Amino acid sequence: MAHIKTWFGDIELHNDEIARSQVLKADIDAMAQRLQQEDFADFDKECRGRLREIAIKLQVVSSEREYVSLLRAVMIQSAKQRIVAAFAQPDARIIQLIDGIDDIDESINLLSERLSEWCLLTSETSMPEDLLEAFASSPSAQSPLAQEFAGSISRLCELRQQLANAIELEMRTTAPNLSTLAGELLGARLIARAGGLEPLARMPASRIQVIGASKALFRHLKYGTKPPKHGVIFQHPLVRGSHPNNRGKIARTLAAKIAIAARLDFYSKKVYPELLSQVEKRFGELQTAERNPEQHEDKIP
Amino acid sequence: MANCRPQSATPNNMKIRYHKVPGVFLLDKQLATKGEALYGERTFDGYRLWNPRRSKLAALLTKQAQVPLAPEQIVLYLGAASGTTVSHLANIVSLVYAVEFAPRVARDLVRLSERVTNIVPLISDAAHPDYGPVVELVDLLYQDIAQPRQAEIAVKNAELFLKPRGYACIIIKARSIDVTEKPRTVYKREVKKLEELFDIEYVHELEPFYKAHAAVIARLA
Ligand SMILES: C[S@@+](CC[C@H](N)C(=O)[O-])C[C@H]1O[C@@H](n2cnc3c(N)ncnc32)[C@H](O)[C@@H]1O
Repeated sequence: MAHIKTWFGDIELHNDEIARSQVLKADIDAMAQRLQQEDFADFDKECRGRLREIAIKLQVVSSEREYVSLLRAVMIQSAKQRIVAAFAQPDARIIQLIDGIDDIDESINLLSERLSEWCLLTSETSMPEDLLEAFASSPSAQSPLAQEFAGSISRLCELRQQLANAIELEMRTTAPNLSTLAGELLGARLIARAGGLEPLARMPASRIQVIGASKALFRHLKYGTKPPKHGVIFQHPLVRGSHPNNRGKIARTLAAKIAIAARLDFYSKKVYPELLSQVEKRFGELQTAERNPEQHEDKIP
Repeated sequence: MANCRPQSATPNNMKIRYHKVPGVFLLDKQLATKGEALYGERTFDGYRLWNPRRSKLAALLTKQAQVPLAPEQIVLYLGAASGTTVSHLANIVSLVYAVEFAPRVARDLVRLSERVTNIVPLISDAAHPDYGPVVELVDLLYQDIAQPRQAEIAVKNAELFLKPRGYACIIIKARSIDVTEKPRTVYKREVKKLEELFDIEYVHELEPFYKAHAAVIARLA
């Protein structure tokens, strides 16, 4: 006797004959819904080869052609439900927001370059950084087209701020430890590069340390160049603020704590504020050792 | 009459020939299948051009490699992405079960399935197949997932869904398995893993269309 679960219902086979069955007939929503929820066991290959025949025998469909068209309708419905569910995950929203910020930054850069070239041609103002400010204070002094440009750029800056605010909110609830330790934006970027909070939580610290440095890592593995010390975590103030000699060490410490923070956030969301102070302490030790080279910190385990 | 010809018509001097795989054509030297345009590819007289730089299957066919494709086949395709290759494959075989787990590209795949009547989209992780109740026995397992554990995933899916003596076409991207090894060393190692379940028929490299990629054509032992 074989018990098989199919997309159109449950079937029991006795000596190749259908003994019992409970099928859903042509109700696309109900069928898709059932696929969302249930956990299915596998069944043997012989039954698998007979799915069309069984569905026709049970009058779920009247022909092979109809079998394919009903199955396709059900699976399109089910696929849509799964996609909606995937996008509703908080880390999926965070990734969207980060991608949005990156897109905007790229646009702002392009537009600013264009604008500054434009102004070089048409006026005496030459410092691109000052341009936007100049526009803000006396927009009428510039040509109307350039004003439009500047307006677009400052609207993009506003939008960027809105996205950053949204990320902060999402990060505070989704990844509180990572937010405290790395900052919301950097934390979000790590989640995005890892492909989600779960993959980040599964990553060893050594990989986290080089997230965003894949080109350098590849060169290292292939050509034996110096291994990269840090990827996007270089943006962290404690790494950037370190003496160049210490950056590798502080990046390693930070990556180790980030790995812990991501795991805490993924598995429990319990908040451990001391993660950040531990990194700060290490930072302090390293900076002091750098200033007093004779008592070199490497002797301290 | 001659100047009312629609833009997409075959230019008079273009030669249309059959490829050795039924359902595949050569317009001069360019690969094509028959159907309406689905992702912005160029069409001529109902033939859709199929770019060997955008599809590894097209690269294989352009190189005249042995690919076990036939009109009546049912195919399980792992790693469909937005469905570029799947859309042409659907012109060649009878039914494609297309598996993809990344929600962003899967959205395009679902849109494609709504337009093409012989594609069934499955939003699932091929490493943990939960499409057991859905997929029937298939004639061909096609895999293009660029994952370190891809051989294992191919074996698992073949055990569940491939007909006895069914075929497999498995794309290996050396870089996603081991960036430090020479591609050929990686291919050999992957082939060894596949031999656990399959008889290996050919290993084709996809140069010059794809660097450090190969396709393994195998048959369930
Ligand atoms: C190289 S792309 C495939 C391109 C596609 N075959 C084409 O030619 O149009 C690889 C795809 O496999 C998907 N993928 C990787 N691992 C997977 C898995 N375990 N299950 C399902 N899809 C997977 C990725 O999301 C990606 O879209």
